[in-house]
Amino acid sequence: MTAWVLGLVLASYAPQQAGSALLDPAREARVQALGKQLRCPMCQGLSIADSSSSAARAQMDKVRELVADGKSDPEIRDYFTSRYGEWALLDPPASGMNLLVWLLPLALLVGGGFAIARTMRRPVPAAEAPAPPTEAERPPSDDPYLEAVRAELRR
Amino acid sequence: MSRRGLWIGLSLAAVTAVLLFVLAKGFGRDPHEVPFQLRGKPAPDFTLRRMDTGAPVRLSELKGKPIVLNFWASWCGPCKAEHPVVTMAARRFGQDYQFFGVVFEDTEENARAFAGAPDPSFPQLIDERSRMAVDYGVTGVPETYFIDAQGILRDKVAYPIDPRTMMEKLAALKQPAGPLSEVVR
Repeated sequence: MTAWVLGLVLASYAPQQAGSALLDPAREARVQALGKQLRCPMCQGLSIADSSSSAARAQMDKVRELVADGKSDPEIRDYFTSRYGEWALLDPPASGMNLLVWLLPLALLVGGGFAIARTMRRPVPAAEAPAPPTEAERPPSDDPYLEAVRAELRR
Repeated sequence: MSRRGLWIGLSLAAVTAVLLFVLAKGFGRDPHEVPFQLRGKPAPDFTLRRMDTGAPVRLSELKGKPIVLNFWASWCGPCKAEHPVVTMAARRFGQDYQFFGVVFEDTEENARAFAGAPDPSFPQLIDERSRMAVDYGVTGVPETYFIDAQGILRDKVAYPIDPRTMMEKLAALKQPAGPLSEVVR
């Protein structure tokens, strides 16, 4: 059982192959920048540049190979999305279904703000509740205590 | 209800419907499942070296018989459990299908020790720097890919394959291309 559990863990995080040789500083910086944009398939929200898993290492080698071959950044991103879908991008482009995810909260915010603004601008209706009766309008009370208070207030 | 109220109600209903659609689409799938984008597309060509003879194996020269590619590594525990399933399938169905193992992110020495005596029905291929594995969209091991006789990638199993699944996938490879089963990790 222990061997099985260890095997499962090592299956994801025990690469036995060394990574490919680094390129010159300028191109290696591009490799690292691209690696930061690509999602590691075996990790939780990590980029392939930040992961030490075998799959991430293989993908970093592929990025390095494509950069060395003179491929542009969009071409390299396309290479990965054509195999892993937009899932491969840590920051998917705002288009198609993704555009809805970006626009819906904005639409709700604008709509809500509009509704609030309209409500705030609407004039408050003058005293909708009936005004309390004046002293003169009040019917006389049978309660001697209440009458005494009223007489005191009228003075 | 006034006309303005009707419009506001309809707009809110439309926004809510779109929101529900997006949420249902998002919650309806496993966020850890990596999409298999190459399904139904020509399998990427490769030239890999056989571990036993050193001879090159080119995909473009293998058309005519369905192909099963099994990616594995000696450091992968589930691969050990899966290996006999693929080996036995290769021995039993080797007349009708071509089986290949592809060593993923491993040293050749460890891979040789893992694979044991060379088996002509299940040759093992060395994938330097896992270039070919990434070309196929491999996300880890074990993974098994099924390519039909015309060189089209038909399906992928991204977990240790069991005999029943193997039989089903092999049978599907002989059928005309159509809706294929979903991949489960």
